[in-house]
Amino acid sequence: MGSATSRRADKNPTRGAHEPGDPNLAERLRKAEAALVGRPRLSMRLRLVVSLALCFILSCAFSLGAFSLLRTAKAKLLLLQTLERLDDRMLRVRALADEGTLAAADVDKVVESLGQAEPLLRSDGDALEANDRDAAPALLVQLGTCRRLLSALRRGAGGGVAGLPTEQAAELRRAEAEGGRLLEAVIRHERVSLDTTVRLAEAGPLVLLGLQLLLFAGIVVAFAKALVEPIRRFGEYTARIAAGDYSFIAPARGYRDEFSDLALAVNTMLGELQAQQDRLVKGAKLAAVGTLTSGIAHELNNPLNNVAITAETLMEELRTLSDDEKWRLLQDIYFENERASEIVRSLLDFTRQEKSEAGAVDLAEVIGSTLRLAQNEMNLNNVSFSCELPPDLPRVRGTANQLRQVLLNVLLNAIQAMPRGGRVWVSAGTPEAGRVCVEVRDEGEGIPPEVLPRIFDPFFTTKEPGRGTGLGLSVSLAIVRTFGGDLQVTSEAGKGTTVHACLPRAEER
Amino acid sequence: MAQGTDVMVLDDEPIVGERLRPALEKEGHTVEVFTDSEQAIDRLKQKRFGVLVTDMKMRGPSGMDVLRFVREQAPGTQVIVITGYATIETSHEANAWGAYRFVAKPFKLKELVKLVEQAAKLASA
Repeated sequence: MGSATSRRADKNPTRGAHEPGDPNLAERLRKAEAALVGRPRLSMRLRLVVSLALCFILSCAFSLGAFSLLRTAKAKLLLLQTLERLDDRMLRVRALADEGTLAAADVDKVVESLGQAEPLLRSDGDALEANDRDAAPALLVQLGTCRRLLSALRRGAGGGVAGLPTEQAAELRRAEAEGGRLLEAVIRHERVSLDTTVRLAEAGPLVLLGLQLLLFAGIVVAFAKALVEPIRRFGEYTARIAAGDYSFIAPARGYRDEFSDLALAVNTMLGELQAQQDRLVKGAKLAAVGTLTSGIAHELNNPLNNVAITAETLMEELRTLSDDEKWRLLQDIYFENERASEIVRSLLDFTRQEKSEAGAVDLAEVIGSTLRLAQNEMNLNNVSFSCELPPDLPRVRGTANQLRQVLLNVLLNAIQAMPRGGRVWVSAGTPEAGRVCVEVRDEGEGIPPEVLPRIFDPFFTTKEPGRGTGLGLSVSLAIVRTFGGDLQVTSEAGKGTTVHACLPRAEER
Repeated sequence: MAQGTDVMVLDDEPIVGERLRPALEKEGHTVEVFTDSEQAIDRLKQKRFGVLVTDMKMRGPSGMDVLRFVREQAPGTQVIVITGYATIETSHEANAWGAYRFVAKPFKLKELVKLVEQAAKLASA
């Protein structure tokens, strides 16, 4: 029973040590992932395939169009050739007939041409223009009449129209004249139409080229934007991460693609970085507490000693002391006990884990509690301090505990810079709108110029082994930057060091 | 009872002096209590004490400074050093400067009174 209880009691600290400092980290990472994934997917690959397919389909359509135009032109050319030859021969026959020198061969040629033209005029009229298609039946009738009469003339083998009976000769002339008129009208129309078709076939490829150029340009611009814009954004992300802002990447567009996969991977990395930093901050915090140990031991031993000797006096002199004296002794015990509790409480406050999500922090409270925490360390080292805070100091963005850690690190450095004692000045103000700065100035040894550029490097320390971890300032800078602030150190060797910690004002609720 | 000695108690914690004074006076000693080490040094310049009980860490001159002063100016005075943060280094340093005893807080009133008794004997010897 007893062992089971103790085992359970043991569990928590070990788990606490292995888990990242912020219990909400996993939850926030999950939310960021859900936001990234919860968008419709429109992958780069899909867009590429669709664009290329569109180009291909357009090219096919234009090729088919051009092919069809060429076919139409070819059919019209054939039609025109046939009709013109017929017209030509009919004119010739008429002229020969008028001269009376019409030979059988000429008639045969006209009949042959008629035979060639009729199927072209009769077949669905693909190659014919719409108005010619309407005229075709009338033309066919006249041509049919011509053929019939010319065939009769051929059979009569006479030397001219005179070979036909007068009535038929008149009919032939009429049919020829009417047919010739219709035929020429059709030829005229078809010529114009062929012209248009050829011109269209000429202009088509140019239009196609132009359209494709536009399409390609559109695709290139769209893809360049789709590639360049996210790359630029990721450039901003890396700059922000390098500056110590480890907040997760949030969706920037309404859809997700391959870059969203990258964002997911970066977020996972950021989660790990945050956990690492939490561990580092925690380690540095414990190191700071370690530095405070002597001060805390002294600070605790004093009230404990006071309680012990006062209780001893009471026990020894219980019978001889007056009630008033007893009351005073009991009061001493009570207040000295309070004093010890206060020390333990402030230490626990400092080491307690808290959510690392930034809120509005009362800087005056942070400064006050940290000065109390470091008070005894200062006493032990003969360091006095003065603290000047304006009464209406605005709240800043951050978490109280982490800001205490920053201030404690800076104060401990100041104390350690003055081994023979001295004075620390703490002040705060709003040198620029939207920012609140705390200034901690000491009159210590100062930092040599060659060391100054390295003071924020992790594990860099000038203290003797075992006295410093070299994490204090690097972790402090990381903490301040997490909240969008900055830490600046100016120093003059032999005169002292001034640290400015500036933080953005918390948004008023 | 042995004759009383002049005892100085120096600790920036006022309660230490307040409790030690009656306990030591009960043993017949004359006790002067100080909470400020500079005032204590001024007083040491004027008067010879048999025993000095001093805290180590204080604002201004430390217990070690007072110890050194006593060693140089009043070698006959026995010094008992009390401290809230006892380290081997400070203990060695106190012994090197000839402190009679080095006592860690929290201490027992009775034990400290006994130590003062022993130191007083040494001082008067």
